[in-house]
Amino acid sequence: MSIRVKIIQPVKIKTDGYFDHVIIPGCEGDFGVSSEHTPFITKIRPGILTLYKDNTTSKLAIHDGFVTVENNQVWILCDTIEEEEEIDAERAQAARKRAENRLKSTETNIDFRRAEAALHRAIARLTIIKG
Amino acid sequence: MTGNIRYIKNRIESIKSTKQITNAMKMVAAAKLRRAQDRILKARPYADHINQMIKILKYKGKNSEHPLLCTSSESKEILIILTSDRGLCGSFNSNIIRQAMKYIHDKKDTDLICIGKKGADYLKKRTGRIIDTYKGIFNEMDFSVSKEIAAKILNFYLDKKYSAIKVIYNEFKSAIQQNIIIKDILPITIFTADNEISMLDYIYEPDQYTIIDELGKKYVNIELWRMLLESSAAEQGARMLAMDSATNNATELIKELTLYYNRARQARITKEIIEISSGAEAINK
Repeated sequence: MSIRVKIIQPVKIKTDGYFDHVIIPGCEGDFGVSSEHTPFITKIRPGILTLYKDNTTSKLAIHDGFVTVENNQVWILCDTIEEEEEIDAERAQAARKRAENRLKSTETNIDFRRAEAALHRAIARLTIIKG
Repeated sequence: MTGNIRYIKNRIESIKSTKQITNAMKMVAAAKLRRAQDRILKARPYADHINQMIKILKYKGKNSEHPLLCTSSESKEILIILTSDRGLCGSFNSNIIRQAMKYIHDKKDTDLICIGKKGADYLKKRTGRIIDTYKGIFNEMDFSVSKEIAAKILNFYLDKKYSAIKVIYNEFKSAIQQNIIIKDILPITIFTADNEISMLDYIYEPDQYTIIDELGKKYVNIELWRMLLESSAAEQGARMLAMDSATNNATELIKELTLYYNRARQARITKEIIEISSGAEAINK
């Protein structure tokens, strides 16, 4: 049994196809969806989305969004999702450094949650590049 | 006489070059319209799905007391006015500005946000209630820009200073038809029939309230984006139409002037011949 995964962005439909299994970074931890999963709605945290199909896997860096699971269909709504080819390694490195510096600094006017989110995004991107 | 002929000739030349420009603008508008339509289609699945999710959360989870979903007691409103950055698009901007002026005349307690240069320039002189303006975003349509604007709107709303945020814009019906509509963007109002809601029992993570929080933001993002796209498609449609009729008018004018030109030319020749022949007659006598 396979599940239908549809990744929808505001500007296009990124993926629409059948997969055996998918692992999604939910806001309370990664979770896997196989067929006959219970209806489920959750937020996504920055991380890596893995799609499994016939012994092949594809990994994508995902930043935010929502997942709805129902009737063997997985709907992923997100603003930003990138494959390996789409990621700019240098920019991700720079973003990681910047976020780390901000988190380390002792100034009070820093939005730590934002910096943390940026760090997570950069890490997700870099993980994809390294394979 | 000769002066008159030359004058007509010059007019014909100038109208011809105007016609070339309007024709080119028509083509450009047509191409941009196609691109804008394409983008509207691409944004649709995302918007539909967000709406679907909000429906589920609003009607199944009894979340109607969430601030994004229910009206507050304040009476002040924000009206967002979507116009174009450039002119030469027929009555596109004037219609929407007229409607907006009527609206704020009826509801005195309305603050304005202008998106698009034309509306901003016009309303700046006539009302003192503009709290924010955005210009030049239609040139390079980018989702991140719309996201920024949406974030600001959300802040205005969540600060509890306003009871509602409405958008007045040109809805894209077809290439030749635009409809001006006023739509509520906040609080989120989605009307639905009971049988449309899926009966599944969902598990929510972390919890419904947090999800509505986030989903509401996304909803505002995508709704605003959709309206911007519609408005830009409608603008291009209006421009295409305006430029088409301008081109037709120019063709008509050229035809008419050519007729005058030929008539004047003929009259001149006839006059010359009469002069010559009457001169010859005078010698023969």
